[in-house]
Amino acid sequence: MSDFIKHPVVSLPDRAPEPVFSKEELVFTEAEKEQIEAFRAQYPTPESAVMKTFWLAQEKFGFLPPEVIRLAADTLGIPFSLAYGVATFYTQYYKAQKGKYVLDVCTCFSCQLCGGYDMLRYLEEKLDIREGETTEDGLFTIQGAECLGACGTAPMLQVTNGPYVHNLSREKLDALIDALKAGKKPPFVSVTLPQDEDDLGGNRRSDAEATEVGQTPPAAETFE
Amino acid sequence: MEMALFGNNESGKTDAWRSYERALLPPVRDLHRFDTYVGHGGYEALRAVLTREEWAPGKVIEAAKASGLRGRGGAGFPTGLKWSFMPPVEPGKPRYIACNGDESEPGTFKDRQLMEYNPHLVFEGILIAAWAMQIDATYLYVRGEYADWIRHMERELATLYDKGYAGKRILGTDFSSDIVIHKGAGAYICGEETSLLESVEGKRAYPRIKPPFPAQKGLWGCPTTVNNVETLACAPLIINRGAEWFAGVGAEKHPGPVLYGISGHVERPGVYEYPTGMLITDLIDKVAGGVRGGKKLKAIVPGGASVPVLRADMIEGVTMDAESLRKAGSMMGTAGMLAMDEDTDMVKFLRRVTRFYHHESCGQCTPCREGTGWIENLVTRIDEGQGTLRDLDILLELCDQMEGRTVCALADAAAWPVRNTIQRFREEFEAKCRQSIYAVA
Repeated sequence: MSDFIKHPVVSLPDRAPEPVFSKEELVFTEAEKEQIEAFRAQYPTPESAVMKTFWLAQEKFGFLPPEVIRLAADTLGIPFSLAYGVATFYTQYYKAQKGKYVLDVCTCFSCQLCGGYDMLRYLEEKLDIREGETTEDGLFTIQGAECLGACGTAPMLQVTNGPYVHNLSREKLDALIDALKAGKKPPFVSVTLPQDEDDLGGNRRSDAEATEVGQTPPAAETFE
Repeated sequence: MEMALFGNNESGKTDAWRSYERALLPPVRDLHRFDTYVGHGGYEALRAVLTREEWAPGKVIEAAKASGLRGRGGAGFPTGLKWSFMPPVEPGKPRYIACNGDESEPGTFKDRQLMEYNPHLVFEGILIAAWAMQIDATYLYVRGEYADWIRHMERELATLYDKGYAGKRILGTDFSSDIVIHKGAGAYICGEETSLLESVEGKRAYPRIKPPFPAQKGLWGCPTTVNNVETLACAPLIINRGAEWFAGVGAEKHPGPVLYGISGHVERPGVYEYPTGMLITDLIDKVAGGVRGGKKLKAIVPGGASVPVLRADMIEGVTMDAESLRKAGSMMGTAGMLAMDEDTDMVKFLRRVTRFYHHESCGQCTPCREGTGWIENLVTRIDEGQGTLRDLDILLELCDQMEGRTVCALADAAAWPVRNTIQRFREEFEAKCRQSIYAVA
């Protein structure tokens, strides 16, 4: 036996990490495959469809462990290494399992100045976890987020890459957590333009499930 | 012309803006629906350019130039000029538009409101630009966080295809052009034009070295023009009302309607449509209801996190257009304006901004990857009361080593707020350094 084998200069795990999903689970349905084909048809190269395919896969599996990334790559006929590089570049693709509801609390720029950190710390206290952690029951993950583009209704948060919750307050967070525990995801909220309030007397969209108006932001207590 | 009253730089300094009638977001209920949009003259501009001889592609580009329209995404580049950079049509070589709806500059939230309330204006603008440059397909890049808005726009886009307003043989003419919405997945860097192209191609979004510019080698090596969504939404207005009208709205050298996103310590934050060239003091005091709780204004950031901050004593008489803001020592950026009241701790503010850029640096270039981290560490140290006066000089030296030394402008965008916040609020930084445990050393 060579010296190298007896005295390895690097230590490597002796096996690949156990996959989270079994072979039986790791399949796209015919309808999903059709959808992925439709994504491919929108671009000149199959690589370009990888981001949409990841979104579809994350919707189905909840996150993107290596075996799901490989499934996406194989379905598109692109190298796993390329797909893996893309999955690890973008923060919205979850590489590890998170809670059922991921609460991305914006703490950036306008939200920093308008109490984003107050909301983040309140949630930490309420759910008894720190930023980046998941509750034991697997229901909630809290994350501090960079600017989510809703500065006029600061502070705000996003629920699992989906609906925005605007004009946060502690009471509103209490109600949100209760609703999510009961399995009720917040609706799409249309933020009314201040000029529409003046000209149209309110929100212009008759199909808006819920509306919000920018508020005078609260004074931030924590200003990290 | 009814808008002539905005026809010079003095306009913003009067109360004429009060009678301004919105053009990007006109007050029409349910304008986001195809039928309502068409009912209010929507897609007439598209029909005009596709069917009338006077609107040959070259003429549309001429009109864009004559309108004086400048990009609304941050850099403020003249749009007509950018369109004219596209090389002549070559058979077998597709041409693309990449429409930038990534909107991730902190403090910017106007494109989202435009996509929510007037998506068809964006689609019509895209199709007019597509005609002007003879484009085969447009990739509308929208940040992944805007999932709900993407869903809504997909629905409207499907209607557009069904009605024959996009895709093959648009409105029965020989012109065909596709629109594809590309959903991002959380990366500030994708707002940079070449990095956006990489992302559409399904890669890690590392910016490309320019030249070649996108007009030469863009998406998949083919001629491509990158425009912001608000920029393209101006195209139907230019066709319908004329380049002269557009050029007469707002500031002379930076004209047109613009969406101001006002946030921070004001009574009434939100997105407002007004002409360019508005007085900053009017926007804060009259439009957004003044600083909350009757507090005094301390500083404003006029156009997103990367543009230099202005002290309250620097904004007197300054208007929201490239020229006036340059003289004042800042930039128009995205017109996403942040107001800060007298209680704001500028060191803490800068600390959070530096954290943002550190988090969002793509890591491709060393000065940015390392520099943004060191900047964050140094500002954090000062804020935590462990900094020294020498740290301030090191920070400025770091800025020197970052600006203009990387593939894209993220390093510059990270360095400008540091340089300017320190220069313009130096006493606050020095005060924290003097209180520090190392102050004696």
